[in-house]
Formats: sequence, structure tokens, C-alpha cells
Amino acid sequence: MTLHRPRVNFFQSIVGIIALLLIIGHGLCSAVHAEDWIQWRGPNRNGISPESKWLNQWSDGGPTILWKATVGMGFSSFVVSNGKVFTMGNADNSDTVFALDAMTGIIKWKHTYPSDLGDKYFEGGTTGTPTIDGDNLYTLSRWGDVFCFQASTGKILWTRNVQVETGARVPSWGFTGAPLVIEKMLILNVGETGLALDKSTGKTLWQSSTKEAGYTTPVPWVTGGKSQVVFGSGQGYIGVDSLSGKEVWRMKWVTQYGVNAADPVIDGDRLFISSGYGKGAALIKPLASVEPELVWKSKVLRTQMNAAVLFDKHLYGIDGDTTEKPLLKCVELATGAEKWSDSTSGTRGLLIANGRLILLGEKGELIIAPASPSGFKPTSRAQVLGGKSWTAPILANGMLFCRNSRGEVVNVDLRTAATP
Amino acid sequence: MNRRSFIHTAASVSLLAQAPYILAQKPGRKWRIALIGSGWWGKNILKQALASGQCEVVALCDADSMALEVAVEQVNELSGDKPKRYKDYRELLEKEKPDIVIIATPDHWHALQTIAALKYGSHVFVEKPTGHTVNESRAMLKAAQDSGRVVQVGLHRRVGPHHVNAMKFLKSGAVGEVGMVRIFAHGGGGREQPQRNSEPPESLDWDLWCGPAPKRPFNGKLHPGGWRNFLDYANGTLGDWGVHWLDQVLMWTDEKYPKRVYSTGGRHIAGAAVLNDREQTSDAPDHQVAVYDFEKFTCVWEHRRFAENSAEKHKIGAYFYGTKGTLHIGWQDGWTFHPSRDSDKMLHEDSQLQQPDGHNLKILWDDFITAITDKKYPAAGIELAHRSSVLPLLGMISYKVGRSINWDGTKEQIIGDPSANALLSRPYRDPYTYPTV
Ligand SMILES: NC(=O)c1ccc[n+]([C@@H]2O[C@H](COP(=O)([O-])OP(=O)(O)OC[C@H]3O[C@@H](n4cnc5c(N)ncnc54)[C@H](O)[C@@H]3O)[C@@H](O)[C@H]2O)c1
Repeated sequence: MTLHRPRVNFFQSIVGIIALLLIIGHGLCSAVHAEDWIQWRGPNRNGISPESKWLNQWSDGGPTILWKATVGMGFSSFVVSNGKVFTMGNADNSDTVFALDAMTGIIKWKHTYPSDLGDKYFEGGTTGTPTIDGDNLYTLSRWGDVFCFQASTGKILWTRNVQVETGARVPSWGFTGAPLVIEKMLILNVGETGLALDKSTGKTLWQSSTKEAGYTTPVPWVTGGKSQVVFGSGQGYIGVDSLSGKEVWRMKWVTQYGVNAADPVIDGDRLFISSGYGKGAALIKPLASVEPELVWKSKVLRTQMNAAVLFDKHLYGIDGDTTEKPLLKCVELATGAEKWSDSTSGTRGLLIANGRLILLGEKGELIIAPASPSGFKPTSRAQVLGGKSWTAPILANGMLFCRNSRGEVVNVDLRTAATP
Repeated sequence: MNRRSFIHTAASVSLLAQAPYILAQKPGRKWRIALIGSGWWGKNILKQALASGQCEVVALCDADSMALEVAVEQVNELSGDKPKRYKDYRELLEKEKPDIVIIATPDHWHALQTIAALKYGSHVFVEKPTGHTVNESRAMLKAAQDSGRVVQVGLHRRVGPHHVNAMKFLKSGAVGEVGMVRIFAHGGGGREQPQRNSEPPESLDWDLWCGPAPKRPFNGKLHPGGWRNFLDYANGTLGDWGVHWLDQVLMWTDEKYPKRVYSTGGRHIAGAAVLNDREQTSDAPDHQVAVYDFEKFTCVWEHRRFAENSAEKHKIGAYFYGTKGTLHIGWQDGWTFHPSRDSDKMLHEDSQLQQPDGHNLKILWDDFITAITDKKYPAAGIELAHRSSVLPLLGMISYKVGRSINWDGTKEQIIGDPSANALLSRPYRDPYTYPTV
């Protein structure tokens, strides 16, 4: 790991210290910072940040890059908790889990273990994102290594390789979904309809058939007073009872190479599902023990990897595979009607905060635009990274974390306190 | 009535019984086509066949039922056709007797499937390289000649507009006298870590997939697509990419074959190949040089799957070095002429490819259909494609034996080297029989 420390001017460093004090002050009242980003797709698992005070405009020089770091090859996103940002990367056929100081990028701890780069039709490297639960950090490797770390120290509390132990088939690109914590369980997209471990010991609570998993993160869904977990699996989207692991419903959804990778998007009793490779999207209403009701199905949005974000009855998502020029689209959830489509932004990853789209283009361009069905009207742009970015950026405590496939990480300072 | 049109009519009659609705719309005009190997590239070809508006997909075949399902759905969405599903291609041929069979399986299956399809009277569009070993390719050629059917091979660079125009430019003499050609395909990579063997996907018949080739323990690195770098099933980057560029060389030169071939390379970066009960790596070389000695020029192939860089301007393609300058024919980057004299003009033409995946299958498919209907020789017919396919296979033989091989291109024999010559064939796994010429 190399750490590039950009030159920081006096003013910025003062602001930084003030912000640090504010954060420390904040930390005194609560163990978790109010605006930490503790899991894949954010605090509410919907790709929407609750933060409202962040810089959405900047001068020509672009926003301040607080620090840069390098974490190795991969596409893992970030989680942020208690002043640390966690991510993963691969170098020399080893994965490393990094805990970096969120303010400085300095390594607080790291853990390295052997793991194939797995560069099948892409650069390879880590594809999953860690998950925070209290002071625990959970990670799942593409080949089935699960770790439970003490997030503050990096101490390994337990580890196992669930692929070897359960015999679950490895999907073509390895396991990808981030771990999900529900009460005492750690739920993984391993096996046809997931695997549940005791989050404090790693012991298996329930498991499913060894058929291929898909690539989504398990998505919790409470419906009819029951807690379910929905998996994008090798052959469809499947809902299981979270306590028993028993299948409740299944939507057959075959996609090239079994790549069901985009998390289902929940809207009350309906789920929006979508896959790439020309497959398309559907809005479904799962019902117990029968085929889900199909509300609509179309090719309007074919999300190969990052799931669309639902905001104010509209989906904002990426249509098209990495082999094509991506289209950023706004689609009305209820009808599947396309509101607009943009081919200029090159967006591969996005989130929404305070009614605005925060987009990261494939070539590292950061774009801000109102999230509105009336059109795509970017208000700010900045080149924050080089190389190739497919990973959705995340926003935590006013800082935006972005990475590219080579593992170059930038912390883009969008804290309003830094506004002159 | 000749046999071909008989088959076509007979097919239409049986079609009438099965699907009167479709026939009512488009009376009996379409070619009944089937695809064997419904993976990535097979579906790309199928898309063009359907886009031509002249074909109906009657059957799809794959050893992996998941691949099959995806392909069936795609066909259905594109054309409304409801192809039958088959795991066993022999059963497909027997029951459907298609007019045209597309073969897009891994290389080790091309020969047996092509020969079988020809036996049933189908025209064949088979992917490159023709065979996995030289004598398979010869047997395919022989079967094609005996059948009187059209066999087109997926060498779409033969018809790609920027390739065709670059060839015109090259043959016009504008590049001067060409004494050397360098062809190459470079990409990134590094050391290869073994991956654990696993159960094959539930949907896959692994024994059938391996077919006549050795049966390795299943590993996620192999399927889909990854078999390219396993020499049991393919011939590495030289077989996969090299064949396209060697074909460009043969498209340009009047010579039909080289007289001597030498190749070396290895896995100096990827590391030694691993194969045991627990885990495996691929075993194709991560870099390789192959030198082809022709009468009037030398052709050098180079590939590297590491050290991606910005020092080398082009990652893929061919340089034709002439006395008046150097012509680069590339892929997405079109062709560019760099004149020797500063005063001369640099020339460039963009590629005109179908996206995604950057190919010219539409032109190749239309040419195939025209060849069938007009009884013309197709642009990438089996004779030409056989000669181009033999070149990477010879390179791999030299690489394996570690010495130059002298090639008698008329007899298609390696001269004075029995052990190298033996590698023109390979033993087949039971119960498969190696096809004979
Ligand atoms: N011309 C080009 O530019 C080009 C590009 C890509 C691939 N190709 C060629 O296309 C062919 C297929 O390559 P791919 O990338 O699509 O591979 P792939 O692995 O995606 O697809 C091959 C399919 O064949 C199936 N298969 C294997 N054995 C079979 C059998 N006995 N019967 C039926 N199906 C069987 C596999 O299950 C798989 O689905 C290769 O020969 C390759 O060289 C050509």
C-alpha cells in the first residue's frame, strides 16, 4: 500500500482540525457516528444517504481531495464506522482488508490472506464489500473465506471458509454479495438460497442447496409481519424465511452466466429486479408459495451490477453492460416508463443524497445532478480518479469515498464546513 | 431438383405440420437453423442469423441447460421462434435435420460436430479455429468437400470493412515491398493462483462437455469461456487470437503455407501449471513467440498476458513492414499507415464493427447465406480457414516439442520429425473416435 498525501494548505488543515473536533465531539454522545455508512448501499440499504449537508458545488479546481490511498485490485465498495473506512483489494494473489483512518487515509490495521486474483474476463480482485455491526467487521471473499474482525483493532474473532465447508458451488466470478446482519445472524449469498451463520461464533445456523449463488447482497424484507431475506440466485430471485432459511417464493429469472447481481429494490410489497446481458427488468409482487405476480417486465433497465436507486417513485439506474456505453436512466417504478436516458455521463455507480444524484463515471468523473424525472441536468463535475471505476461511491460524514479497479482510493471532501 | 433444395423443401413440409401459424405469416422461405454450443459467441452468431430475416431457429443445443435456457429466451424475444432444446447434438441432428447448423462449442468439439452435421446434409457455420489438432481440421475439410455443403468459418476479419480496405491498400503496393509481418495480442495479467476444483454446476453435463478430450476435474476457471487457456480443449492465445491475424497474413500473401515454424514461450509470470485433485490453474503459455518462415517474408507472432503498458501503442493486430512504410491493422482502432518518409501522409481508417464485442458477423452471415443460395464460395470457407487454422496449431506443436518444425504444406506433414508429426493428431477419450481424412 502506498499512501499519497496531497499538499494541504493551512486553511484546509485548520478546517480539517475543526471538523475532526466536531466529529470527536459527536462521537462522545454515541458509539456510532450519526452519518456513518455501515453497510452496502448505506444505512437503509437503498443507495440513499441520509446526509443533507454536503457540498454539491465547488470552484473550478474541484472539491478538495483529502487524501489518496491504494488498496489493490478490485471493485469492493466502502463502509465507514467510528472514524475508520474499510475496504478490500487484491495484490500478488492475496486479498487485504484495510481499515484506514477516514480523515487521513493512514492505515489503522490490515489483514492479508491468500486469494486468487480471479481475473476471468476482467481485471479481477475483490468484488464484495465489508459489513459493520457494532464493533464487528464482516467480510466474505470471492472464494468463500469469511472473517469476523474486531473493527477497532483488526483482531480476528473468527474465520472459516464456507465454500470448502459447505461444498457450495462457486459461481463463475466467485461470491460477491456483502454479508447481511439480522439480529444474531450473519447471512451470506452462498449456496442457492443463502447461508446463515451465528454472527458471534461463525457456527452454521441454516444452509441451502449447493447450487450456484447469484451476486447480490442478501436483502432483508419484512412483509406480512414476517422477516424474509431475498437473494439474487443463479437462476432467479428467491425469498426465504430469515429464521429458518426456508424458501417462501421464487421468481425464475435466467440471465447469461447466472449473473443476477443487482440487489432487488424494495417498494412495500413489490420488488424491482433487473439484470444485464440484455435480460431486462421486472416489477414483481411475491406471494407465498406461488409464482410472484408480474406487474410489468421490460428491457428498459438492464442493470448488470450496481442496483438502481429508488427515489420519489422513480428508479435511477444504469442500463447496459460494461462492454457497452452505459446509459443512465430514470424510470417510473409503477409503470416501467422511461423518463429520460443519458449517454454522456458514463455512470457506473451512483447514490442519492438530499435529492441529488452523486454519480461516478467509468473514467473517474464525479457528477452531481438533481434526481428528478424531469431530466438529467448536471450541476457540478470534477475529475476525481483516473483508470476505470465500476464501484458506487459512498458518502459518510460529508466525505465521499471513490475507487477505481486498480484500487486507487480518494476521499473527496464534501463537508460544508470546508466551504470558504 | 438437387439435394439441397430437396432438403429445404422437405424441411418446410415438416415445418408446416408443426408450426402452421408461423408459416402462414412467412410462407416456407426461411432456413431452419440450429445452434450447437449456446454460449457467448454462439448467441452472437444467432442474433445475426435472426437479423437477416431469412432464418428460423428450430433447435438449440448445449451441454449446460442454463446456457440453453438463456439462449432459448433470447431467441424467443428476438423472433418469437420457440426452438427445441437438446443436450445431445446427435439427437438434435437426427430429429431436426436442420438446413444450417451453427457450431460454437469449445474448440475440441468442432471437428466431430461439424462432420456429423455435414453427414446429415446441413450447411455449417463453425467457429474458429477449425480443429483442435491439425488432422481434425483436415478431416473437417474432407467431410465438407465430400458433402457438397457450404462450410463457413467464423473468421469475420476476412470481411470486416476496415480489414478489407487495409488489404486493398496493402495489395496496391502503397506499403512497398513487405519483408516482415508482426502479429500480436497483448493483455494484462500476472501470477495465476490455483483455484479449487469443485462440483460442476448442477446444470452442466461435464462428461459431455469434455467429450473426446481428457476429462479434467471440474473447475470454475474452465467454463464458461475459460477453457481457451487449457490446452486439452484449446490452444491458448495463439489459437484464440492468433488465428485471426495469421488469417490476415494468408489473406494478403500469395503463399499458402510457411516452410518452417518455430515457437517458444512459457508461464514465467503465471507460474507452473497446476493440476491435481484439489485445485488447478490453466496451462497455456502466458507469453509466446512464434516465427513463421515463408518464402518471401517472415511472420512473427507475439502474445503477452502481463505487463500491460502505454509504451506500446497498439495491443492487438498486425504490422506489415514495407519499404514504403508500416501498416497497422488493428481491431477497434481500425488501420493506420505510418509512411517511412516524413513527407508522406499518414493514413487512417476507423473500424466499422458491430457492438458490443466488436465484430463483423453480420457481413459474414449474409455472405454465408449468399454462398448457399448462389452456390458461391464463401468468404471464410473451410479451405482457406483450414489453412489459417493449421498455423497456430503448428506453432503449438513447436512450442511443445521445443524445436523448429519443417512443414510440407502440400502433404500436410512435418518433415523428418516423427514425434512432432504425431502431434498432428491426439488420442481421443473413450468412446470417441478420432476423425480420419
Ligand atoms: N470469431 C470470433 O471472433 C470468436 C469470438 C469468441 C469466440 N469464438 C469461438 O466460439 C466458440 C465458443 O466460444 P465461447 O466464448 O462462446 O465459449 P463459451 O464457453 O461461452 O460457450 C461454449 C458453449 O458450448 C457448450 N458445449 C460444450 N460442449 C458441448 C457439447 N458437446 N454440445 C453442446 N454444447 C456444448 C458449453 O456448455 C458452452 O455453453 C469457440 O470456438 C471460440 O473460439 C470466436
